[in-house]
Amino acid sequence: MNRLSRLAINEEGFIFDPITGNSFTTNQVGLWILERLKKGKKEEEILAEMLEYFEVDPETAERDLTDFIEQLRNYKLI
Amino acid sequence: MAETLVVAVSGINAVDNPGPGLGVIRSLKEDPELEVRAIGLAYDAMEPGIFLDWLVDRSFIMPYPSSAEEDYLARLAYVQQVTGLQVVVPTLDAELPIFIKGEKQLEAQGIKTFLPTWEQFELRSKQRLLELAPRLGLSLPPTEAVSSYQDLIKALDRLGFPAMIKGLFYKAYRVHTFAEAEGAFQKIVKEWGYPVLVQKVVHGEEVNVVGVGDGQGGSLGLMAIKKLWITSLGKIWTGVTIKNQDLIQATERFLEEIGWRGAFELECIATDDRIYLIEINPRFPAWIYFATGAGINLPARLVRAALDLPVEKDAEYEAGRLYIRYTYDLVTSMDTFQRIVTKGET
Repeated sequence: MNRLSRLAINEEGFIFDPITGNSFTTNQVGLWILERLKKGKKEEEILAEMLEYFEVDPETAERDLTDFIEQLRNYKLI
Repeated sequence: MAETLVVAVSGINAVDNPGPGLGVIRSLKEDPELEVRAIGLAYDAMEPGIFLDWLVDRSFIMPYPSSAEEDYLARLAYVQQVTGLQVVVPTLDAELPIFIKGEKQLEAQGIKTFLPTWEQFELRSKQRLLELAPRLGLSLPPTEAVSSYQDLIKALDRLGFPAMIKGLFYKAYRVHTFAEAEGAFQKIVKEWGYPVLVQKVVHGEEVNVVGVGDGQGGSLGLMAIKKLWITSLGKIWTGVTIKNQDLIQATERFLEEIGWRGAFELECIATDDRIYLIEINPRFPAWIYFATGAGINLPARLVRAALDLPVEKDAEYEAGRLYIRYTYDLVTSMDTFQRIVTKGET
């Protein structure tokens, strides 16, 4: 996950990778997940926190988290 | 108040294929300790820089660099006589041979330059890059040198389309069919001769490094960027500063290995696991003001080095500085145009 540590992320969800020069945008939920990934939290921990923090059923939360992490992998951010 | 320094700069053609000259002049004028009087060296009376009097103080039409060397140097001697010229910063590929060969003569006349040696200039031939790239820790896209139409077809069979057809030093065409490849091959042979290089197109991010080598293996500053938006002519219109350590280290190795002196631009393609070296340009790129705006005034450093003045060498800049090129309109009288057309100078 150390690639994440290099990213510059602002509170509006703009993400800049200073090594590649690529930039991305995400929504507030993506930002919330990224904050936790940057702290080194595991997927299961983040999922548990999501269920506490958001009004969401476990299946939807797990699907959204998995999708988001897959996107980060596709963009080679993790 | 500082003594006025007279510096001539070429490439003041800020058109769809812009020259680096105006970016160089703007940088020189922004150095708080240099009081620069800028002389524009132009090849056409309609080069926009001639008319931008807040940047270019005087302009002179030059003979083409392909003309006799003595005519070119004689014109420079005239420019010196009427302006007190002290330093020249040539920014166009085609001018470099004449300036590198004429360096000693210019120096004897009191005109300073800060250029690569002839050996260094030749090293960046695309054929020589084949042996240089691995020494720098960079990859080179699969490339074949061909000297006949039959060899061209065989090379394209092996490398596939799209491919780049390149002259040894100048010109590159991207081709998608055998017919396009044949046309590009013939244009290059006609203009630049053999061999012609056929190169596989690699896909990735276009990343570049601009810098100035001190001639002793070190740097007088460098900066890496990614091109975000390019025109159909391949010219950057938007870019961003990056901090790619692999790219910076390869550039430092290039300076160490070659002892490069003067301005340079490394053009590369970065993929997930490799950096491909595409070209080494022995001059500032047209986007040189980007470095100045990001805090590293490379043209001013080069001029200081040419004059043996103290030079800052740091390469501190922030990743994420954005470069936006834009066009601008100027409406003026015919006066300047008349002068440059009738007298060859303003």
